[in-house]
Amino acid sequence: MIALPFLGGLAVFAFSGWSPDMVRRVSMGVALLTVILALVAYGEFDAQRAQLADNGVVLVEDYALDAAADSGLPVILRFKLGLNGISMPLVLLTALLTPLAIWASFTGIQTREREYYALMLLLFGTMLGVFCARDLLLFYVFFEFTLIPLYFLIGVWGGNERRKAANMFFIYTLSGSMLTFAGVLYVGWKASQLTGGVMAFDFATLSQLAEQGLLSSTEQWWLFLAFFAGFAIKVPLFPFHTWLPLAHVEAPTAGSVILAAVLLKLGTYGFLVICMPFFPVGAMQWAPFVGVLALAGIIYGALAAWVQEDVKRLVAYSSVSHLGYCLLGMFCLKMSGMTGSVLYMVNHGLSTGALFLIIGMIYERYHTRDMAKIGGLARKMPIMAFFLIFFTMSSIGLPGLNGFVSEFMVLLGTFVSQQADDVATQGGPYGVWYAAFGATGILLGAIYMLFMARRVLFGKLTEPEGGFDGSAGLTQDLTGREIGILVPLAVACIWLGVYPKPVMDMMEPSLQPILATVAKVDRSQFGEDRHAAPGRAVASDSPTFASAMDGAPGTQFHHNHTSNKIDPNHIGENRRLTRVTAIAEARSPLKGEGRGEGTVPVADEGRPYAATDRVVLTDYSAAAPSRTNQEAR
Amino acid sequence: METLRSTAIWIPLLPLIGSLLVGAIGLRWLKDRSHWLVIGGVALALVAVLSVVSTVVGEAGRAHNVDAVAANEGIELAHTSEHDSKLSESFTIYKWMNMGAGSWLDVSFRVDQLTSVMLLVVVPIGFLIVCYSVGYMRDHHGHPERGYERFFAFLGLFLFSMTVLVLAGNFLVLFVGWELVGLSSFLLIGFYYQKPEAAKAARKAFIVNRVGDFGFALGIWLIYLTFGTLDYQTVFDSVSLAMRFDGDNYAAIVPQLQGLLGTERVPDVTAASALVLQVQDRITWIALLLFCGAMGKSAQLPLHVWLPDAMEGPTPVSALIHAATMVTAGVYLVARCSVIFAASPVAMWFVGSIGAATALFAATIALTQYDMKRILAYSTLSQLGYMFLALGVGAFDSAVFHLYTHAFFKACLFLGAGSVMHAMDGVIDVTKFGGLKKDLPITYRTFLISSLALAGVPLLSAFWSKDEIIHAALAGNMPLLGWIGLLTALLTAFYTFRMVAMAFWGPKMLPAGVEHAHESGRWMTVPLMILAVGAVFAGYVGVHFKSGGFLGFLEPHGTFHHFLEPVFAGAKVVLAAAPIAHEGHALMYWSSAIAFLGITNAWYFYTKRPTIPGAIALASGPIYPLFKNKYYVDEIYDAIFVQPLRKLGRFFFGSDRYGINSLLFVIGNLPRVLGFGLRTGQQGAMQGYALGMILGLVALLWFVLQG
Repeated sequence: MIALPFLGGLAVFAFSGWSPDMVRRVSMGVALLTVILALVAYGEFDAQRAQLADNGVVLVEDYALDAAADSGLPVILRFKLGLNGISMPLVLLTALLTPLAIWASFTGIQTREREYYALMLLLFGTMLGVFCARDLLLFYVFFEFTLIPLYFLIGVWGGNERRKAANMFFIYTLSGSMLTFAGVLYVGWKASQLTGGVMAFDFATLSQLAEQGLLSSTEQWWLFLAFFAGFAIKVPLFPFHTWLPLAHVEAPTAGSVILAAVLLKLGTYGFLVICMPFFPVGAMQWAPFVGVLALAGIIYGALAAWVQEDVKRLVAYSSVSHLGYCLLGMFCLKMSGMTGSVLYMVNHGLSTGALFLIIGMIYERYHTRDMAKIGGLARKMPIMAFFLIFFTMSSIGLPGLNGFVSEFMVLLGTFVSQQADDVATQGGPYGVWYAAFGATGILLGAIYMLFMARRVLFGKLTEPEGGFDGSAGLTQDLTGREIGILVPLAVACIWLGVYPKPVMDMMEPSLQPILATVAKVDRSQFGEDRHAAPGRAVASDSPTFASAMDGAPGTQFHHNHTSNKIDPNHIGENRRLTRVTAIAEARSPLKGEGRGEGTVPVADEGRPYAATDRVVLTDYSAAAPSRTNQEAR
Repeated sequence: METLRSTAIWIPLLPLIGSLLVGAIGLRWLKDRSHWLVIGGVALALVAVLSVVSTVVGEAGRAHNVDAVAANEGIELAHTSEHDSKLSESFTIYKWMNMGAGSWLDVSFRVDQLTSVMLLVVVPIGFLIVCYSVGYMRDHHGHPERGYERFFAFLGLFLFSMTVLVLAGNFLVLFVGWELVGLSSFLLIGFYYQKPEAAKAARKAFIVNRVGDFGFALGIWLIYLTFGTLDYQTVFDSVSLAMRFDGDNYAAIVPQLQGLLGTERVPDVTAASALVLQVQDRITWIALLLFCGAMGKSAQLPLHVWLPDAMEGPTPVSALIHAATMVTAGVYLVARCSVIFAASPVAMWFVGSIGAATALFAATIALTQYDMKRILAYSTLSQLGYMFLALGVGAFDSAVFHLYTHAFFKACLFLGAGSVMHAMDGVIDVTKFGGLKKDLPITYRTFLISSLALAGVPLLSAFWSKDEIIHAALAGNMPLLGWIGLLTALLTAFYTFRMVAMAFWGPKMLPAGVEHAHESGRWMTVPLMILAVGAVFAGYVGVHFKSGGFLGFLEPHGTFHHFLEPVFAGAKVVLAAAPIAHEGHALMYWSSAIAFLGITNAWYFYTKRPTIPGAIALASGPIYPLFKNKYYVDEIYDAIFVQPLRKLGRFFFGSDRYGINSLLFVIGNLPRVLGFGLRTGQQGAMQGYALGMILGLVALLWFVLQG
């Protein structure tokens, strides 16, 4: 399943003699074949699930290469693939959207088709790889490899500022991953205690680490931070989101679709399947902080979206807002929240992906996305208007469509987070006020999305000079191909909105162990911890929020909350905090060995992070050939 | 009961199927025949409603007999919830949302007396209005308007949503219906989407409703937090239990409390009362938050701003959604949750005050408007205010009674206004035409009848229901609300007949460009007549004949109230209020006098001495402009909420654009790379870095692997 798009991509790239039409047909064929494989995988998964109800992971492949054996390096590199109830829906989402994105590019992309479709297929394979990987190193490789095709997709086929956007996107996400890579290595090294001195990255092994008490809470705190750096930028969590609007605006339609629908989910997926089960204590220590950032993102993204003139940027900011819900639901320690969170990933992919597709269709006709220049299109494009309203409603969580189910579950989970139950006997980290602030996003979402719909569809007809451009065989309203692209998404939206039970049933067994692991964490111990570690003031506010509901709904909380978002002191504190982290990351492997001081040159220079940065960047500069530069031009 | 279940499911489904079919094939194949599918769907749904209601009525009658027999034999039948719930039927259709540990939120329906009443309002009136639309959505030559099939598809969608709302068996499904009617309303208000005002009004309606729904959603979550379920019956039972707790019945109640509240062990009385206190505390919050939703949907102060603007939609829509059915959803919500509200004096006070304030406030605005539909819109606000007033003083059955009578006469008034508008080629400003009495005879007569009803003239439907409300308010512990109700009644009679006088009486006048006024066709006049009959007689289900009553033979509080009794029994117990005595009839004579006073004044001012209103307006100083400009609420909202938020949004976006680096220093080292990379020419730097990075990686790997 993963290999096929790769091979297809290479083939498309290699056969330089093919006409653009041929390239389109072949790549579409390859993509569809992959979809069929994904469906086969789903069938198999479904069949095996009954037997494997316990851990919910169904292995598809496990080339457990002890690659290290002959070279003498104490590392096990595994090519271990598997699916569970969390990754399966995301794989299906990817498999649904990528072919549609490829199909949608038929008219939009008129230059360098060969390279374009090759990269799309490459991206397809990589994304499937991320979700299937059951080995941390493999996950990381796929995770980072997604950057390369997308970098070119934006840089070559993007808009006017495409190079700036591509670079910003690349450097931004990469820099986050550097810390993550340090974390990966550290975890692998820790795991060697379990495997007899050999570094291992297998998910199954890693989940043992915390369980057997091999990671102290301080270690987990740092490790969470390391992974947080990579994932939070990918999500993107406020305030690490600034790359996203630019990348979206400049990317070609298919690029935006894939970026929004799938790539952002890599971050949330990472939080869910890596951070939470492997560093449960760290996750719970950080949860209040993540929650506040998520809330800030929800409100910030929504307000910023409201003032946009460019439709695409508006939708991009809405992603910032929506992804906040995913994180909120994930960390609330309630099954409803977690289920909602995973569903949200899928639903956001469907509705935002569809919105980007529609915007792309408008753009192909009018070559502008400026809402001042287009308006009242419902009159000329009724079918487009129907779909735009439909997906707008899906995006703002109208009951009956997909968005509502996940939004409701996430916020309900967040709302009742505090309450103790059988699984989380202490209750979760969030509570009433988190949900109340989160729910303002529902309101703001309606405001900005309807604002957009009104300007684009309703009112007086406004077209840029020259009317619509039908040069690529487009008709005024949507063509059959375009309707064919949107219908499957609409059907999926309705299905997930009305009867999501099959998907929920699929997810529950996989979410259960994660929930149980994290819920076991005794959060009362953080009290002391907090005093010990410097600069954790932000996180320490959580009991204030948390207890707010038990007494009178506190104005005090309100005050705290708002100040957290913009108070420069906190930001300053936070910065100090992360620097400390960087140092610790560089040092900790040695410290663990007990032969720390002085042997790390970087640590002595006082700017240790620079060294760490370089380490990981290499990976990518090496992987991405220097042809980047020429291509980008 | 299996038949009840299967019938009930079809009530929403049939209009939906009609709607979807029209949406799918209407544009291409059905064209001007599109209405048949929706009419057919709604007609079948109407049959289903009648079947369901007759079952419920039959059940209720049987239960009543059992009660009577028991009473005769001297056996006291406890009014426990089990007994009551025999009259209501809840059923799960399928499981919807996974709450973990095997508990799910379901899609479930509930059929009981309140549902029956609501269905009897929604579906028959919906049916009449769909028929009316067949005539209304065409020009004088019978050609359908642009978007004809779209209109019927939306109407079907609305009826689906509204029936889901009233059939809901738990708060989640209620919320679904709640939001879906919001969507239908949005689509229908914005039906003439090319008109910027219509598009704007549609958006405003949706968003203001969302403000209310924000509170509503929080209320629902708080219910889940407190009771661990969203099912109506379980929640209401829990509330009743919590309210009955008094320490003595600790042993009897605690086991149930434990089960219901999902708490762990409750060791002793102290813990139990602490728990109960907490629950009681939360009940107030729940009631207030739910009421937020009701304020949005039923356009009560301060969330009323969307309803007058919603008149941009086609008139049948105004009649159906913005007068008869959807806007009463808030009243339905409070009535449905009567136990919760009754359990919180604060909430009751709040509901009553908001209702009274809205009633008066909207009536004053209605005095000064010239657009017929807007006058009616403010009148709707005002009447909804009455309903909330009734709910607030604990007269739940009177509120539902008024909801029911109001639906008839207000729908009739709106459709009449639509008929006038149709004849005037879309002009609806009462200063532009007048004296239409002769030209539009049917419209005039039906309009006059409904106006008399609205004004509260004795023996017509609204007289009974409105009078009951004022009576209950005066008898309760908030008599001020009753006086406000009386004052509003005077204003109501006045503004209603001001409109009638300006439109139908006096010398004939037609707007420019209109040659003659034509009475509308059958499709429109027949529904008008049926509704007018309803406006006269609908009130009689709520009264009974008794010698010595009002005018010697009529007494309020009839079959209708007895039918609804079981639904509000729980609330009555919680309120522990003495039943309101309907003995004195003085009020009824007074309110009749008030109605006539208002009507004659309006007649005198606007047909005999048309100069008087202008003089009063001038003499009133700032008050007239204040009314006329609707108290400047829209402007105030814009200044307080909209503009600051927009500014904040711009600030955020600006900080994203220009403050990136400074802001991003949050993550310490990362922006440094970014800033550096961006500053020093794009690609060159990366290659420069590469060497260092490779070295770094090698170094790190070396260290790690050594260990």
